[in-house]
Amino acid sequence: MNYDASLWLIFILLGLATTLPRAGFIVLGNRFSLPPTLQRALRYAPAAALAAIVVPDVLLVGGSVEPINPKLAAAIAAILVAARWRNPWLPFIVGMAVLLGLKALFPG
Amino acid sequence: MQPSDFERHGFAAGVREGFVAFLPVSVGLIPWALVVGMAMTSAGFTPLQAMGMNIIVFAGTAQLGTLPLIVDNAPLWLIVTTGLALNLRFLIFSAGIAPGFRGIGTGWRWLCGHLLTDGSFAVCYDKLMQVDNPRWRLGFYLVTGVWTWLLWQAFTLAGIFAAGIVPKSWSLEFMATIALIVLLVPMAKARPMLVAALVGGGSAVLLRGMPLRLGIVTAICLGIAAGFAAEHWQEKKTA
Repeated sequence: MNYDASLWLIFILLGLATTLPRAGFIVLGNRFSLPPTLQRALRYAPAAALAAIVVPDVLLVGGSVEPINPKLAAAIAAILVAARWRNPWLPFIVGMAVLLGLKALFPG
Repeated sequence: MQPSDFERHGFAAGVREGFVAFLPVSVGLIPWALVVGMAMTSAGFTPLQAMGMNIIVFAGTAQLGTLPLIVDNAPLWLIVTTGLALNLRFLIFSAGIAPGFRGIGTGWRWLCGHLLTDGSFAVCYDKLMQVDNPRWRLGFYLVTGVWTWLLWQAFTLAGIFAAGIVPKSWSLEFMATIALIVLLVPMAKARPMLVAALVGGGSAVLLRGMPLRLGIVTAICLGIAAGFAAEHWQEKKTA
């Protein structure tokens, strides 16, 4: 496939659509601050956002809920390991081992 | 003041502590960058175009999410709107972390804003709120952003050239999911935070049918509201 110069226009506009939401409030900082109540509420943003990305990823297979699947089992293993031990590498080792092990045991 | 105290609170100390805190989290970027590099190559980009997108856009989710539209020759407005929807969470992150940049100049703020990612936000948020010294905060934050940028560019480049070599059956992209779990687990030890995560995750599953992945933004808002409500309820109960 060939792309013309308009591809670079797409990149630049997408770059703006990324940097402006990211930098907006950080740059305005001193001149514009959110009400304290809203700030307290926003403390929950990272937990809510991370879960909103992770949960569908491990619970859905091809767009429908699948409560028994290798990714969910691997995620639960990673959660248990991360909650129990402080070693930061262990969840990766155990999670990937469970995922690849189950995929090897139950192919397809 | 003891020299050790001064050193502990300076820019270099911030850089050192930020790097130690961020290094394990950053491992999750590697498979994610490889996957994005491979995806751009399979979309038909030349290595120059792919690296151009990677440097100008610098947002994995927005890059992956808009690629199918670019391949389909979708109208420009739809591509940009989709990218914006995928990036809306950064508006929340930016507003949340903004007080952490008190006492830091506008130029630095633009750079820090450009480098704001999920990982930097999660690792830096508490420190930026707690520590007073702006130089320490700038160092702590910047090292996470710059390290993310370097890892991202290097491993996307590797992915561009490795496209087609690594077998899909290795499921390397799942390491990105594990990285998010590693960030999430310590947060969810506080009860209202756990409520926010459960509601955010559950709603994202239920709302997955919403167009332009707006379901994720809605789920984040519901999770925040639920966590905030749980915090109030907990305070009432203990009062």
